[in-house]
Amino acid sequence: MTIKIWKFFDREELYECYQCARCTGSCPAMEVTAALGPRGTILKCLNLGHEAVVQDEKVWFCCTCNVCDDRCPQQIPISDLLVALRNSAARRGNVPGRLLLSLELLAKTGRTMIVHQLDEMRAHHGLAPLPPAPVDEVRAILKRAGLEEVLDF
Amino acid sequence: MKYALYLGCAIPIKYPGFEAATRLVCERLGIELVDDLPFSCCPPPTGLKMVHYDSWLALAARNLCLAEEAGLDLLTLCSGCVNTLKEANQALKHSDAKRRRVNKILEAHNRKFNGAIEVTHILDVLYQDSVVDKLIKLMAREIPLRVGCHYGCHYFRPPQMMYPNELSEAESYVPVRMDHLLSIIGVEPTEYSRKFLCCGSPLGANVDTEAGYAIVAQKLHYIRQRNIQALSVICPSCFEQFDMGQIALSRKQKDLSKIPTFYLTQLIGLALGFSPKELGLDVHRVKAKRLLESIDVA
Ligand code: SF4
Ligand code: SF4
Repeated sequence: MTIKIWKFFDREELYECYQCARCTGSCPAMEVTAALGPRGTILKCLNLGHEAVVQDEKVWFCCTCNVCDDRCPQQIPISDLLVALRNSAARRGNVPGRLLLSLELLAKTGRTMIVHQLDEMRAHHGLAPLPPAPVDEVRAILKRAGLEEVLDF
Repeated sequence: MKYALYLGCAIPIKYPGFEAATRLVCERLGIELVDDLPFSCCPPPTGLKMVHYDSWLALAARNLCLAEEAGLDLLTLCSGCVNTLKEANQALKHSDAKRRRVNKILEAHNRKFNGAIEVTHILDVLYQDSVVDKLIKLMAREIPLRVGCHYGCHYFRPPQMMYPNELSEAESYVPVRMDHLLSIIGVEPTEYSRKFLCCGSPLGANVDTEAGYAIVAQKLHYIRQRNIQALSVICPSCFEQFDMGQIALSRKQKDLSKIPTFYLTQLIGLALGFSPKELGLDVHRVKAKRLLESIDVA
């Protein structure tokens, strides 16, 4: 099921953008990858439509650092736009593999991290074993919230 | 002073030394931690939120409900956890529609989000006047090192979400509390260029490890320019970028000097007289041993 992203982000906001690139000028992901960058993302949404943006794997090249959102002189809630776009991308099967793996782990264990010999490691620091997370409740909540739209678990 | 301790995933599983240090410091400073609540992953603002917002909100709401049921504010130890739990708390308090939707999901487990608690971070808890007074009284030694602070993006951005009552005229927020707190224990907090640049962790974790390290390499470049001797962080993901990141980067560039990284409560713990081993410093990849010996801490 796809989502109507302009229900989550007011499309009119896009027209407030000066294309000044104050956001992109401080975007760390732009410095090290071929990311779309916040300014480019907005421009592409306007010119090509969001469908084109959410099919591009580059929509994920981002630190989620929120610097763009913080620096925008027009106070465009860019973070919200990025969340809406990626949620939409995920429903079309466009999600980085590593991110999916960590979500599978979350749905399986209630946590997003796993290591060998955890009890020994914790004992080394004088700590008691970590009680397991309440997996059944977590899974039930994730199912009712609709996570199966993007992940089989 | 009593909080529901929210450990998250990375600290108790990957960096239990930070947990040990935090428990020792809190106990010494009279901060009571209640930690038998069955929390799950927060879940991260860099992960589930990007993929499925509704699931992110519902799971975060469940964690908030547990603290509400215990009648305690929630204490987090990670920039990611505090970001998720603060934002979810605020979103659910302010939107009837979101609260209704989430409560419908939680109802089956006899839980209900009421919006009765606040979410905080260990840095903000330690920064309170009464805690600082106690720290000054109980301090066993000074830590005279040039330390660069790295706050972690999600601890304070977006500022309207994280520190709505402390915005500057430009509606932004520049964090200073870690620098101030460390100056109390004799540290020389040292400014460096692009101090608020991201550590690169989410990009590395989700998409491209090398690209993530390329960002932290930039940060380290500016940090070296100021002869900074050690780094202080308040987030396990940032820590990993600096600690593991320097090991990875030095494989390519052999002559790089390495700078040890501390989690905030490890530095405070040293000042309170705990040993490096008790504070879990022995397992860091970039060793602090020689540096600490140079200031007579062993
Ligand atoms: S900073 Fe704001 S106005 Fe300028 S390009 Fe970025 S989104 Fe547009
Ligand atoms: S949140 Fe993403 S797009 Fe915005 S500045 Fe950070 S890395 Fe760039």
